[in-house]
Amino acid sequence: MASLKDIRGRIQSFKNMRKITRAMEMVAAARLRRAEQRIEALRPYADAIRRMTSRASQAAENIPSLPILEEKDEIRRVGLLLVTGDRGLAGPFNAQIIRAGNRRSAELRADRVETIWYVSGRRGESSLRFRGLELGGAWTGFTDRPAFADARAIADGLASAYVDGRVDRVEITYNGYISAVRQEVRHETLLPLQQADVLEADEEESEDDIHRRALWIYEPDPEEILARLVPDYVEISIFRALLESTASEHGARMTAMRNASDNAAELIDDLTLEANRQRQAEITQEIMEVVAGAEALR
Amino acid sequence: MARSSFPVEVLTPEGQVFADDVEMVSTRTTTGSIGILARHAPLMAILEPTELRLYKSESDVVRFAQGEGYLQVVDNSALVLVEEAIAPEDIDRPAFEARLEEARDAVERAAEDSEERSRAEREVRRYEAFLGVASG
Repeated sequence: MASLKDIRGRIQSFKNMRKITRAMEMVAAARLRRAEQRIEALRPYADAIRRMTSRASQAAENIPSLPILEEKDEIRRVGLLLVTGDRGLAGPFNAQIIRAGNRRSAELRADRVETIWYVSGRRGESSLRFRGLELGGAWTGFTDRPAFADARAIADGLASAYVDGRVDRVEITYNGYISAVRQEVRHETLLPLQQADVLEADEEESEDDIHRRALWIYEPDPEEILARLVPDYVEISIFRALLESTASEHGARMTAMRNASDNAAELIDDLTLEANRQRQAEITQEIMEVVAGAEALR
Repeated sequence: MARSSFPVEVLTPEGQVFADDVEMVSTRTTTGSIGILARHAPLMAILEPTELRLYKSESDVVRFAQGEGYLQVVDNSALVLVEEAIAPEDIDRPAFEARLEEARDAVERAAEDSEERSRAEREVRRYEAFLGVASG
């Protein structure tokens, strides 16, 4: 049985641990708020790009044939982008992405399709490298606060691989953000871009708009503008995935740290009870000894 | 006499960086430099990396290093959609110089006529423009 001193030492160490996990929980909560705001900040830009695309596609006489929209006849290699975090201590956040990636890769293998791995975040990178896998590309060092330039770097890498024929399809697996306590693994096809998603007209045009459309000046012509707008969807999709992943990471860390703090509190309670019991036992023992001594002297 | 002004909004994926009335917007499209004054005809254009200048008045000019993007003018208001809009004083010279170097290497490495190469070349143009704004 542990001595009273041992128990008190353990209580102290759990208390210190709880201080750390509480601090981490609060840091994660603050970062989560900021990450949520950044998801919001993307929306006006993404909406404006969407409206512009629909306007340009209505003005264009024909939709330009873009390699990024073209489906490949034969799928032999699929690029799989796993979006993980640079750091751990976030519950199942990183592990569930890697697990989902493995599952997807096994499915592809069953269809005789090779997986080319792409990864963002140090956790995913080290885990894939540890398993001896060769990576098509790895981007790290920004998952706390991804910038649009980071998303563009990833998009450049993936779109080049697709257009230059190194992969025949690109898929992405990331933690989608639902709320501070809920994240879900999402799996989406990134390339080829779905023409229907990109070029559908969004709102109904009024008579007035149709009249005025002829008066627009395009520099250069609408086809070329479209050829530039459409690939931007890849960057925006990746940026959104990075932002959602970051928010999810902070949410998952917050939950993990709160559980750790609660667990520490529970252990402290149990140990305190145990310590009190022992202390009581020691006191009882001493009284018994005194009484026994007095009894003997009589 | 002061020129009449019109509202301009500058949006990036990381949020709005400017929304105010200006007398003139000066930037560069794929076909060349352009200045937008009030009551401009409806316009849609592709923007190239350059210095974006927003003239609130003759002497009060807000400047940004602008990445690739789009310009839309309609109903006497302008919308500038760019991937980046960085205030000149926020440009981190050494970081951009390093990225420019990297991009130049990437151009060298990439195969002729590949998508990889054309994207790396865009990268080079962007960072050259940013560094130009920083020193200008």
